[in-house]
Amino acid sequence: MAKRSKATAPPPVAPLALPAELTIYTVGELRPQWLNWLTEGTLAPQARIEGNAVEQIDGAGLQMLLALGRSLEAAGRSLHIEGASAVLRSGCEALGLSDWLRERSHEGVAA
Amino acid sequence: MKGTTDSDLSFIQEALPAFISEAREQIESMEQLLLQLEDAPGDSELLNALFRCAHTVKGSAGIFGLDDVVAFTHHVETLLDQMREGRVALTADISTLLLLCNDQVRGLIDQAGGSGAGDDGALAARTALVQRLQAAAGAAPAAAVAAVTATEPAAVQANADLAGRRWHISVAFGADLYRNGMDPLALLNYVRGLGQISGIVCDIAAVPALEQLDPESCHLAFELGLETEAPRAEIEAAFSFVRDDCRLHVFEPGATPDDFARLIEAMPDHPRLGDILVACGAITRAQLQQALRAQGNASASGGAHQPLGEILQVTTGVSSQIVDAALVKQSRQKDRTAGARDTAQPVAEESGGGFIRVQADRLDLVINLLGELVIAGAGAALLARQTRQGTLIEANAQIGRLIEEIRNGTLQLRMVPIGETFSRFRRVVRDTAAELGKDVLFDIVGGDTELDKSVVERIADPLMHLVRNALDHGLEPADERLAAGKPGQGKLTLSACHESGSIVIRILDDGRGINRERVLARAWERGLVEDGVTPPDEDILKLIFEAGFSTAEKVTNLSGRGVGMDVVRRNIEALRGTVTVYSDPGEGSRIEIRLPLTLAIIDGFLVGVGNSKLIFPLESVVEVIESRSAISTPDAQGRSVVELRGRVLPVLNLRTQYGLETDEPERISVVVIKSGSHSYGVMVDVLLGQHQTVIKPLGRMFQSLRGMSGSSILGSGEVALILDVNSLAEFAAGKQPAPAKSRDVAQGGQKTLVRS
Repeated sequence: MAKRSKATAPPPVAPLALPAELTIYTVGELRPQWLNWLTEGTLAPQARIEGNAVEQIDGAGLQMLLALGRSLEAAGRSLHIEGASAVLRSGCEALGLSDWLRERSHEGVAA
Repeated sequence: MKGTTDSDLSFIQEALPAFISEAREQIESMEQLLLQLEDAPGDSELLNALFRCAHTVKGSAGIFGLDDVVAFTHHVETLLDQMREGRVALTADISTLLLLCNDQVRGLIDQAGGSGAGDDGALAARTALVQRLQAAAGAAPAAAVAAVTATEPAAVQANADLAGRRWHISVAFGADLYRNGMDPLALLNYVRGLGQISGIVCDIAAVPALEQLDPESCHLAFELGLETEAPRAEIEAAFSFVRDDCRLHVFEPGATPDDFARLIEAMPDHPRLGDILVACGAITRAQLQQALRAQGNASASGGAHQPLGEILQVTTGVSSQIVDAALVKQSRQKDRTAGARDTAQPVAEESGGGFIRVQADRLDLVINLLGELVIAGAGAALLARQTRQGTLIEANAQIGRLIEEIRNGTLQLRMVPIGETFSRFRRVVRDTAAELGKDVLFDIVGGDTELDKSVVERIADPLMHLVRNALDHGLEPADERLAAGKPGQGKLTLSACHESGSIVIRILDDGRGINRERVLARAWERGLVEDGVTPPDEDILKLIFEAGFSTAEKVTNLSGRGVGMDVVRRNIEALRGTVTVYSDPGEGSRIEIRLPLTLAIIDGFLVGVGNSKLIFPLESVVEVIESRSAISTPDAQGRSVVELRGRVLPVLNLRTQYGLETDEPERISVVVIKSGSHSYGVMVDVLLGQHQTVIKPLGRMFQSLRGMSGSSILGSGEVALILDVNSLAEFAAGKQPAPAKSRDVAQGGQKTLVRS
């Protein structure tokens, strides 16, 4: 908050790094962090997420990612997922979210 | 978990013991299932059962806020899930790992029950296990990626050809899915195992923005095509774990556009469902639009809304039963969303299978009271007889019969199959054999033989010792076995059966048998037998049950510490049982434990000698003969023989044995008793008939008394002593007071008549 008032042009907000474990066991503590990150980067039209660290994922984790996307899109911003790990990609595919992920990643599903 | 109120807390306090005992049972069955799986790896029934057990433990632990249990079991479940999907095969390592994890869960449950303390060591062990679990399951995700990416395009391509058997599954998960421990990802991976998923789309319409999201509620719904030969039941079974937590519609191959139109109408909270159905290839856009238009017309023209269930039935030919069940589920789901959460009750009743859980101490209380009732009833019957009023006697006889029925019924309640105790040894044998580097085949025979719970509980430890002993000392290492011309794999059998009113438990091994010379040498060394004296064979074997006896050449940490066998014998004798060992050198050993079925109330046969009343357990009484003439001259201990149908029967005189100072009556009876394989007679003055005998322990003063196992109170208030037929048998066989082979009881031929 203090940072924002000090700078006229917002410094580039660090991408949100997804944790190694994005599951029902971590979503509870992740949500406030993510909400925080959302408000920090209010002015950036593109919100970037790094997904290369994800080693464990489940439905609850993916659902929260969907909710994050929904929040951003409601605010007229877009979500970009960079470097989705194999686990993240396979999780999305298994849940029929391949298109969703493809639309939101820079490199598409090149792999 | 969240928002715990005082009433929740008190509920948890009350329900925790029930949870603990149930969880222990689940853990016990998990262990059995794991061991069975070792013999039948890949058995999907067993795997499913295993998964269910783990899931139940995790689920109920969650209710009680036992986070450690939930977190740890989750990892176990993940691995089991991978196994269920066939991604991880059950190897010996994984089996051992899962068994260790099971122990860990047991420890955690014990801790929750307050009977164990957690420490840092346990935590470290748990962390290590979690890492191993993750490593075991870890190989899978990579494989899964390959599988998924490989099947998806192919499936879409094949879609057109296989349209004939393409099922469509529409599933919207309920909010509590995650809280109930399920994961849509795992579930869909399981569905994938049924066939090929062609076109799956996640309907995210219900997922709120992050600000409104409760991350522990599930808002996901899926539309997917499944190409499979599996029948409807099997497809629906994939969702059996989440039946109450989802809205599931399974459309058979060839479902019409109308069906989908109705589905769309039935799920108004999923506005994009039509697009999704088109996207996943269930239906073309043109077909859908046409169907929706048609349906719109129908409802506009005032036609009553056809409930979805009816549609399903008409168009798919599903049996009405299944539809009803689905509809019940659906309404249950609605109830749940409406806030009515009391659905757990009927579900529990459904799955209860007619069992009621009763606390053991309540049962014990009833059995104690029953004992008093039996005694009081006998007293009343006696008084009635004294009044000589026929009707009163009749009424009391009727009461007596009813008491007997109640007694049998109540004691039956406490009967449990011994198999549960036996199967606990599977693990012991497995681990012990592995530790000793021996290959052992373990077999259980007659596991459904029932006996009193209190006996079962107290026999487990002695049995454990005997089983370990057989593994350690009895069975030889494989090379030694092969050298002796035996198969490399040793065999250990635990069997149980009923035999004349008692239960006989046998522990058989095909090992090296007991070395009599070594036993004798050790007995001389320890001064158990006078140096140089060689007792008869069976007596030598009995020496191993003497205090301070151990023949192991090396002391292992399993047995051979010299405590053991005498303690085993003492424990068994404390249960009014006997233990006998038989052994053929080189062929193996057999240990036989004989136990009474119950410790509380038995049918007794009441007799009188002089002024004393004595009771034989009725099961051991074969017959009564009344003959004076055939009895030979007794020896100093009052032992003599009588001829019974051409055989010689040793007979005991209790009057002489216990020094009862009354005169012998004119006529005496001989009660013929069978104990194990021996028969003998006991001389008594009067026969008083059958008597329901409530067993009371002998006072400390009388515990050294030989031939007595307990006492009982008669209706008149008199105390009767219960005879121990086994120790009397030894006495009759001439084993008392000293083990001397040459002792003759009466005339010659004693040996042949005793060892029949």
